[in-house]
Amino acid sequence: MRKSKVMSAKEAVSQFIGDGMTVMIGGFFHAISYALTHEIIRQNKKHLTICQSSFNDHADLLIGAGCVDRIISSYVWMEVFGPLYCFRRAMEKGIPHQVLMEDYSNFAMTARFLAGALGIPYIPLNSLKGSDMMTHSQWMGDQKVKLMEDPFGSGYSHALVPALKPEIGYLHAQRADEEGNVQMWGILGDGPWSLRACEKVIVSVEQIVSRETIGRDPNRTILPAYKVVAVVEEPFGAHPKNTQGYYDVDRDFIFHYIRMAQKENTWKEFMDEWVYGVADRSEYIAKFISRYGYRKFAGLKAKDMPSGSINYGY
Amino acid sequence: MSEYSKDFTLQEIMAVAAAREIRDYEKVIIGTGLPLLGAMLALRTHAPNMVAIYESGTIEARPLKTPFSVADACLVPGAAMQGGLIEGLGIVHAGDLDVGFLGGAQIDRFGNLNAHVIGDYYHPEVRFAGSGGSNDIGAGCQRTIIMMLHQKRRFKETVDFITTPGYLTGGKSREKMGYPGKGPAVVVSTLGILRFHPETKEMYLESYHPVTDLATVKANTGWDLKIADDVRETVPPTVEEIRILREELDPTGIFLKKT
Repeated sequence: MRKSKVMSAKEAVSQFIGDGMTVMIGGFFHAISYALTHEIIRQNKKHLTICQSSFNDHADLLIGAGCVDRIISSYVWMEVFGPLYCFRRAMEKGIPHQVLMEDYSNFAMTARFLAGALGIPYIPLNSLKGSDMMTHSQWMGDQKVKLMEDPFGSGYSHALVPALKPEIGYLHAQRADEEGNVQMWGILGDGPWSLRACEKVIVSVEQIVSRETIGRDPNRTILPAYKVVAVVEEPFGAHPKNTQGYYDVDRDFIFHYIRMAQKENTWKEFMDEWVYGVADRSEYIAKFISRYGYRKFAGLKAKDMPSGSINYGY
Repeated sequence: MSEYSKDFTLQEIMAVAAAREIRDYEKVIIGTGLPLLGAMLALRTHAPNMVAIYESGTIEARPLKTPFSVADACLVPGAAMQGGLIEGLGIVHAGDLDVGFLGGAQIDRFGNLNAHVIGDYYHPEVRFAGSGGSNDIGAGCQRTIIMMLHQKRRFKETVDFITTPGYLTGGKSREKMGYPGKGPAVVVSTLGILRFHPETKEMYLESYHPVTDLATVKANTGWDLKIADDVRETVPPTVEEIRILREELDPTGIFLKKT
């Protein structure tokens, strides 16, 4: 029997995320672990370099809380919901401190993870060239991107971006077994490549399932266990975002966050209530239900739209 | 021809203009907001075989309701394929898609877009989201549809930062870069419809929306905008197009706020 890696979010973050680390946060709107993000803030981790193909409000929380020195990404915003004010305050005014960002395109970021996952040093792109992202760098200098003529004779030059291999990454998925074989469905985002690019991975999941359950549908596995260092069971762990098949996105809560984040003092009120004021995810859920009612909580629950089962027989 | 609507808003005429740019059977990568409504309108009118693709890796989405974001969970069930960013943007990067939508804070006469900053990149007055998939869509899609608020501070002689190249410095300068895609086909603005000269690649006004006039369009453009010899009023939305937008696609008015 292999070792179980099941632990609490508190243990996982304190054991595996250190000040100054490069931390990959997996997902694309879907599959983002707010449970682990909140725990990083509660443990007041500092000087992190955070990377993800596209960031949403989880980055805003980390930036506002002073955990982040550097961002590697293509995007920090909340789509049609609106801007992220902690990000803007940091970039425009240096509040709470200056944050540097290396800007890539969404595909360039994902390609950097792909190269990292495949163990190749860099990857050529059709995009990025011709943009000012080629010439503007905050700290990587000429290591950010290079333009190289195609050695195979197409006659064109391509942007080469270096492999990105974060020290640690984390994600929220539907399920994993105790050892950390992770299964996910719905919008995969920058996963599975961003996860496979990391040296180590922490995963929070809606449910821990048996190894036998994993083995009944192995095509659904996005990450095998060997890179996973911690498995944290956190139902509702992606709220206010969604987890396909479990609960939908909580738009009201996201709009509420954006309103509160407009000013520093109301942002602090939000954080005191929803991050610093709760010890862990179960207190967060209890607080959510007492604040908004069980009807609202239950209303987020996903409808049943099961896939038909397939035959793996031989 | 159907009857024209008389009470459409600017957002509605933009969504309709975007829809009319899409042809049947085309593969289209869709962003949120007006592009999404435009594409869904095309799907319900003249382009029922359009393949709707989202950056988040959804291919041939058939959602039961109007998705709110490009990663809305309602896009997944019913899709022909669901992957991640490598699947969604990989086919863009490969040059497989016909149409992509773009927007930004600033645009210049050659269709170069800025979605990063107002002011100096290193000390921005305003910092925006960044590229997201915009740069990839601009490079990879065979043609792009740009949707913009038409204001002098956005239609600029020079953009503060090039996030997504259009025709760069015009003429053959884009061609020399060897992107899979051919560049912007049209700009649908709040004031009119603009296209790009086949040789010089400079933007010109093809039509102005019924609510405005030539002088207003010129006054809201940060360079001496060229005007088509046969410039005319934009064909207004039909009653049926407006009905589909309001009643079927955005019944609660999330995207089409009354303006």
